[in-house]
Amino acid sequence: MSKITVPIGPQHPLLKEPLSFLVSLEGEKVTDSALRLGYVHRGIEKLAEQRTYIQNVYLIERICGICSHIHSTTFCQSVEALQKIDVPKRGLYIRMLLCELERIHSHLLWLGVLAKNIGLNTLFMYAWRDREIVLNIMEEISGGRVSHAVNIIGGVRVDLNEKHLSLLQDSLKELTVRVDEILRSIENDRSFRARTQKIGHLSLEDIKRYCVVGPVARASGLDFDIRRDAPYAAYDELSFEVPLMTEGDVWARSILRILETIQAIRLCTQIIHNLPDGPVSVTASRKVPAGEVVSRAEAPRGEVFYYVRSDGSQNPARLKIRTPTLTTLITLPGQLKNMQMADVSAVIAGVDLCIACGDR
Amino acid sequence: MSTDKTIVNLQNTLKIDRSSIKLLPMNEQEISIEKQQILSAVETILKSGISHLSAITCQQLENEFVLLYHFWKSDGLTLRISLDEKCLQIDSICLLIPGAEFYEREAREMFGIEFLGLPNPTPLLLPDGWQGGYPMRKKEQANKENPKDTPRQEKGKSV
Repeated sequence: MSKITVPIGPQHPLLKEPLSFLVSLEGEKVTDSALRLGYVHRGIEKLAEQRTYIQNVYLIERICGICSHIHSTTFCQSVEALQKIDVPKRGLYIRMLLCELERIHSHLLWLGVLAKNIGLNTLFMYAWRDREIVLNIMEEISGGRVSHAVNIIGGVRVDLNEKHLSLLQDSLKELTVRVDEILRSIENDRSFRARTQKIGHLSLEDIKRYCVVGPVARASGLDFDIRRDAPYAAYDELSFEVPLMTEGDVWARSILRILETIQAIRLCTQIIHNLPDGPVSVTASRKVPAGEVVSRAEAPRGEVFYYVRSDGSQNPARLKIRTPTLTTLITLPGQLKNMQMADVSAVIAGVDLCIACGDR
Repeated sequence: MSTDKTIVNLQNTLKIDRSSIKLLPMNEQEISIEKQQILSAVETILKSGISHLSAITCQQLENEFVLLYHFWKSDGLTLRISLDEKCLQIDSICLLIPGAEFYEREAREMFGIEFLGLPNPTPLLLPDGWQGGYPMRKKEQANKENPKDTPRQEKGKSV
């Protein structure tokens, strides 16, 4: 049978962000694929060396349009560790609240993208309708729907008032009902199962070999969550479960992300019920003592990694960022091998790529 | 710390003394090793039960380049390797940890480190035919090495 090569991307209706895939086909079967990044590479690591720590908090939020808050959280906690600053408890709780709201919003957004890619437009609309609830809360708290600029070095810039808390309580109640509904419908939907089960399979060995993180790793049975295993902010004061599945296909990743959304809603409820009193931030110096620090946090897509080296000046001497997308991207050629061309869209959507994060 | 056992194993295998171990904030330990020791160090770490490599950081200091291999299992463990700027070569660890490929390719493109045995040394982030040197190097050096820096686009003219 003759072989043909189909380019997917850099601009393609299947992809929400630019990425290039060259898929080699034999008939309808994928035999090989090659990928290429860099179409949204903005050189943020280099830019950060030319800006002060305070300017960098806002630069770093622009790495990603979905998980912007987790990036600034990880950066701020690295700088705070170098400066030996203790952030007030209330500040940490507000940070965690935004992190969990972002996780809900990211997972629902992803579900919409997957549903659209596999032709389930109704599910896409339901998921994105419910995502609006979270975006409205975040807009009410921070003034921004995706870029919140809530973190500052030493705490957060906003405080929660009675109006926010009552909005949160009502919205989270509504969201719980909606997410339960989504979970029920995708668990029982025949078309959804047919398009996602046994598609894009990754074994636990592959996950370990490729150092994959986040929901993709947990859907293959790797029990690994930074919030539980190396708690940052005040996650050690909250109780939550880390959902785990073993099937390792797109279906398992979908169910797992919805279960994580339910846990995130529970965490938000816990945070607003146990919100400590007091200030939300402390004043931090503009200069950072010389030293180096490694900091990790659990983004919606898994472990995000920051390395900061300070030479004692106002600008970081080196900032290294490793986003979770890079770990899942590398597994894609293996997942696509021997798949049908029609399933490529489900596989690409299933790992939840954020190319802007991957490129930086 | 959960990485203590691995550090003892590394000390025994590679004959490293205590002074090359440094404690960083946020439960991270850093060990300095020689570049010839990288493969045996990674093998020892994998045998000790740590399989997660978070990232490889490359950075340029005064007269040297430094590679940091960040491992993690509840706590962090970083291997630190200095490379003389006249010989920027090191063995690739992709055969032991295939997940390191993107990190090595990025360090190769951005800093010009040559990883011996890298399975796929094609451009990952930079465009084909890139003439701008190594973008992450300190500016003076990038220009000195490659005088044909990409010219800026003039206003109103398409390239």
